[in-house]
Amino acid sequence: MGVKRMSAADRIYAALNYAALLIFCATALYPFIYFLALSFNDGYDAMKGGIYFVPRVYTLENYSKAFNNPLILNSFLVSVARTVLVTVLSVLLTAMLAYALSRKGLPGRKYIVFFFFFTTLFSGGLIPTFILYRQLHILDTFWVLVLPSLYNFFNAIVMKTFFDGIPGSLAESARIDGAGELAVFSRIILPLSMPVMATIALFVGVGCWNDWFTGQFFIQNEKLQPAATFLNKMISEASFQSMTSSNSGSAIQNMNQAQLELRGVTPEALRMTFVIIITTPIICVYPFLQKYFVKGVLVGSLKE
Amino acid sequence: MEAAKRSKTLAKVWSFRYIYLFLVPALVWYLIFAYYPMYGILIAFKDFKYNLGILGSPWEGFRYFKQFLNDSSFYEVLRNTLSISALKLLFGFPAPLILALMLNAISNGKFKRVFQTISYLPHFVSWVVVVTLLQKILSPNVGLINDIRERMGLEPIFFMGDPNLFYPLVIISDIWKGVGWGAIIYLAALTNIDPHLYEAAQIDGAGRWSTLFKITLPCLTPTIAILLIFSLSGILNAGFDQVYLMQTPATLSVSEILDTYVLKTGIQQGQFAYSTAIGLFKSVISLLLIVAVNNISKRLSGTSLW
Repeated sequence: MGVKRMSAADRIYAALNYAALLIFCATALYPFIYFLALSFNDGYDAMKGGIYFVPRVYTLENYSKAFNNPLILNSFLVSVARTVLVTVLSVLLTAMLAYALSRKGLPGRKYIVFFFFFTTLFSGGLIPTFILYRQLHILDTFWVLVLPSLYNFFNAIVMKTFFDGIPGSLAESARIDGAGELAVFSRIILPLSMPVMATIALFVGVGCWNDWFTGQFFIQNEKLQPAATFLNKMISEASFQSMTSSNSGSAIQNMNQAQLELRGVTPEALRMTFVIIITTPIICVYPFLQKYFVKGVLVGSLKE
Repeated sequence: MEAAKRSKTLAKVWSFRYIYLFLVPALVWYLIFAYYPMYGILIAFKDFKYNLGILGSPWEGFRYFKQFLNDSSFYEVLRNTLSISALKLLFGFPAPLILALMLNAISNGKFKRVFQTISYLPHFVSWVVVVTLLQKILSPNVGLINDIRERMGLEPIFFMGDPNLFYPLVIISDIWKGVGWGAIIYLAALTNIDPHLYEAAQIDGAGRWSTLFKITLPCLTPTIAILLIFSLSGILNAGFDQVYLMQTPATLSVSEILDTYVLKTGIQQGQFAYSTAIGLFKSVISLLLIVAVNNISKRLSGTSLW
């Protein structure tokens, strides 16, 4: 808009706008800063209150207890294994689906797209899904954390739209040189599609990492609890013993009350620490993929 | 002629045979994980017994539908669902638009990017984490707010256990989590506005507010309209994760929604058919809504999902 002197009113508005946005960002960040301070503070001291930004009685005990607790450690291992496996498989499988759907002239493409798209509008619902898992014998196994998360048609649409933008001549000349579909897909399409693959990997990975539901209702074995489910059980036990949440494992209760207090860590300090640990990987990843996922969201919203 | 045409089609299909192979894993997965549960909906009309299977269980007709339609707690649940959705729409829908307008007014690119990055953060954390943050901040037991209140000599408030505070907390936490992410679409639409329009307005001496109301908002109207009608179609989704994790026994009278009710009657109480019937009721209405809304959108703006 060219260089133009700002009037006094303009400057006031700009300042107010900055101030409002700064407050907004502070609100978005502050809860994490609060928890960070509490996670580095002695749990018994924290009960006196007054810790808002920095620890008062600094300690690493909460982290060392968290990382040395077999149940907590195990829940993170389950989450890492699940997230890595699902992300790799899902990105690959979604890319194959998207590639097929992006091929122009594919006979019956309209019907095939409808077959997939319809499932985003209508689904069997909770109980039929539960019965399916039971009949597949995947309830209470690692597979219930993996298999149902492999496809999401929204992600396929985002990828397909990206593939549509790759010049057809590249694939065409490879085909003339005798390359098969698999070679075109793996040597031409995939290497050109790293931005969209990274975006979908982020969406799928974050979704898996954050999913507490599957672990809560489809898994009983506490060795298979993902971290997000474990955190939920920690909250519901602490605040509302009588709450609706099913099968709150008594093991966690025992761990909270009996062992931890004896060892000088409060269950609450451990929860704060757990939140920081579970959030850190996300904070470390998403800012670097920002320019890609913003594009992904737009493609999805336009062609949903 | 016919035969020639058919063999041509077949030849074409044959030439795409490897592409169909690419589709096989997805077809199999969707048949099992998406379509088989649709077949399982039959149990809403049956007295389901595991050992008899879905088809083998005896038919009950519309018994479970009559049961929930005659149950007063169903209407309470429906009312709660609609109340939460409506309030989210009323307060939560304009929030991303306002944030986008504010971000758009920032001329310094670096600040804008940092603000945006921070605004996305809550979107990426789990509802479990958000509710843990909320519970600690609002806890009567040395939570942030009550800690400060106590220092000021005020009585602690039991935020999470107060039915009157449930809806405000749901709306605030929903906005907190989603506003940055929701602003992405508006920011993109804002960058697509022709800068000449602003130059012309400036030459005509239009002020800040008249530029906003006469240029910016009219240019955003198609985007706003589409997003609004599609959020209307999700009116029966009040936000399962959030509501389930935030509700307490003390707030159940206002916090039980269709999705949590389906979960509790189904998985926790084992009333499979009853729960499936309610779920089916919800899915069918949602499907009808999205089809209707899509037709409206197609007629109004030419934009449609299919």
